[in-house]
Amino acid sequence: MPPDVSVRDLVKHYVVPERAGGLRASFRSVLRRKHRLVRAVDGISFQVDRGEVVGFLGPNGAGKTTALKVLSGLLHPTDGEVDVLGFTPWDRRAEYLSRITLIMGQRQQLFWDLPAADSFLVNKAVFGIDDAVYTRTVDLLTELLDLGDLLTKPVRQLSLGERMKVELAAGLLHGPRVLFLDEPTIGLDVTMQQRIREFVTAYNAETGATVLLTSHYMADVKALARRVIVIDKGQLLYDGALDGLVRRYAPHKTITVHLERETDLPDLNGQAEILSVEGLQVTVRAGKDDAPEVTGRLLTQLPIADLSVEDPPLEEVIDQVFRGEGP
Amino acid sequence: MIVRRTTLAGALALTRAEIADMFQYRTQLFIYALWSVIGPIVYLAVWGSIAGDGDVGGLRQSDFAAYYLTFMLVTQLTVAIEIYTFGPMIQQGELSPHLLRPMNPVWVAAARNISYKSVSMLLMIPLWFGFVFILRPEFSVTVGSVALFVAALMLAALLSFLVGTTFALLAFWTTRSYSFWEIWVWLTFLLGGQVAPVELLPGFVQNLATALPMRYTLGFPIEVLLNRLDAGQLALGFALQILWLAAAALTVRAVWRAGIRQYSAVGA
Repeated sequence: MPPDVSVRDLVKHYVVPERAGGLRASFRSVLRRKHRLVRAVDGISFQVDRGEVVGFLGPNGAGKTTALKVLSGLLHPTDGEVDVLGFTPWDRRAEYLSRITLIMGQRQQLFWDLPAADSFLVNKAVFGIDDAVYTRTVDLLTELLDLGDLLTKPVRQLSLGERMKVELAAGLLHGPRVLFLDEPTIGLDVTMQQRIREFVTAYNAETGATVLLTSHYMADVKALARRVIVIDKGQLLYDGALDGLVRRYAPHKTITVHLERETDLPDLNGQAEILSVEGLQVTVRAGKDDAPEVTGRLLTQLPIADLSVEDPPLEEVIDQVFRGEGP
Repeated sequence: MIVRRTTLAGALALTRAEIADMFQYRTQLFIYALWSVIGPIVYLAVWGSIAGDGDVGGLRQSDFAAYYLTFMLVTQLTVAIEIYTFGPMIQQGELSPHLLRPMNPVWVAAARNISYKSVSMLLMIPLWFGFVFILRPEFSVTVGSVALFVAALMLAALLSFLVGTTFALLAFWTTRSYSFWEIWVWLTFLLGGQVAPVELLPGFVQNLATALPMRYTLGFPIEVLLNRLDAGQLALGFALQILWLAAAALTVRAVWRAGIRQYSAVGA
């Protein structure tokens, strides 16, 4: 089975006008405008198989959103090949647009002053969804997203979280097979973020849809994607399993021990570094290969009440990747 | 041009929603409508006083009243609002959600145009009858002229919409598409039958006005309704109107295709 999404050497450069602040710069720019080339996406390649959920990670301005916009046909790339479900996205064929969706956390497609139900009816007509399918889909989405009576209230009266749920539903009415989600949980409270995550998981399980999502929240990625693609400055840094990312970029384990009583710490032979001692809690960082030996020594030489060995938090790992540290 | 069935259904649903949405702004629309009657009243006052008890180029005071009262409705029905509705959508990245639908976003602009006119007409028509009652113009219309008027009016509205859309699409390249639009507005003011009926323009300027597209977005339908044209002028007028319409349609298509490659979906 061919992959749902196939991207080869994708490049998207923008030319943006640039000038310094101040009146003088302003006059100068009338005569001669300076431009700057922004390499938003600079040669990335990857594939996504049917039914996969892939997290797109990267700092602000990494090129994640630009890549999603190209994939969903909003932007023409500068170079490269993209194939999604057998279509070239920027041809914007009706058959293509009927099979995908792009949901952007900050953008809204709903009529602000009207109940969302009105916007839904527009989508129903535009996508040519027949009555039975429409009713079934709205019922399913209402249940999964707990929409209740949100659809009959004017959109401007909804809270941010409620609006996001309705926005998601609007983007899914036509039953797309590939979902591009750009920061779907941005600005939402923890409960609502959790809710959206559960929904995406359920939707993926229920429909077998392929999902490519970007998020600032590591929790989103951890909960949803087994595979991550990390990009920075328009280039692909990592593509693979989430665990692999941690293994590759976090060559350390963090060992935390709770002592039964105060005691001197053993010599760790330079195999581990003591990060902190807070009362009876000691945190030690050891190289991944040394971790078993260090753990053994701690267990035999110390009066231990409790011990845990953990990978560093994903945020830390990602931060390390973006700062160009690690292997 | 082949239009998909779902596109038509979609455009219809969109227009319905736009009309519902437009009603939220009825006060604003009422003020626009009031404002749009002031222009023709001023032109009428000026030409009326010049004509006095006599005429100007064969037009008497009551002819001017008929012309500018018709103008009042025609201008409201043919006005292009795309520079204010569609242009900002492109500039602010709001085009993106519409680009994700299997329907050209120009339909969104069309739906907004139609809904604006439908709702503002509800306010304009009572106002208009008020003016007719006060000014008592002499309409020398016939069944034939009304039928031709309806055709010319629809073509004028379409042409005006396409021209407005073309200028709005310049937002793909420049943040100053308003400046270009101003030029069109001025040319229409001078040559479109606004400051004066085209038949009153001096020889050379009148020929220019006849050839250029502005008259076909505004003055031409009025002249048709009021029987100011002979058969030859009518035929030439319709031919030129259709010609400009075809040119405008091709232009919109070409500009759209070039613009969409350029679209940067700023911030959206």
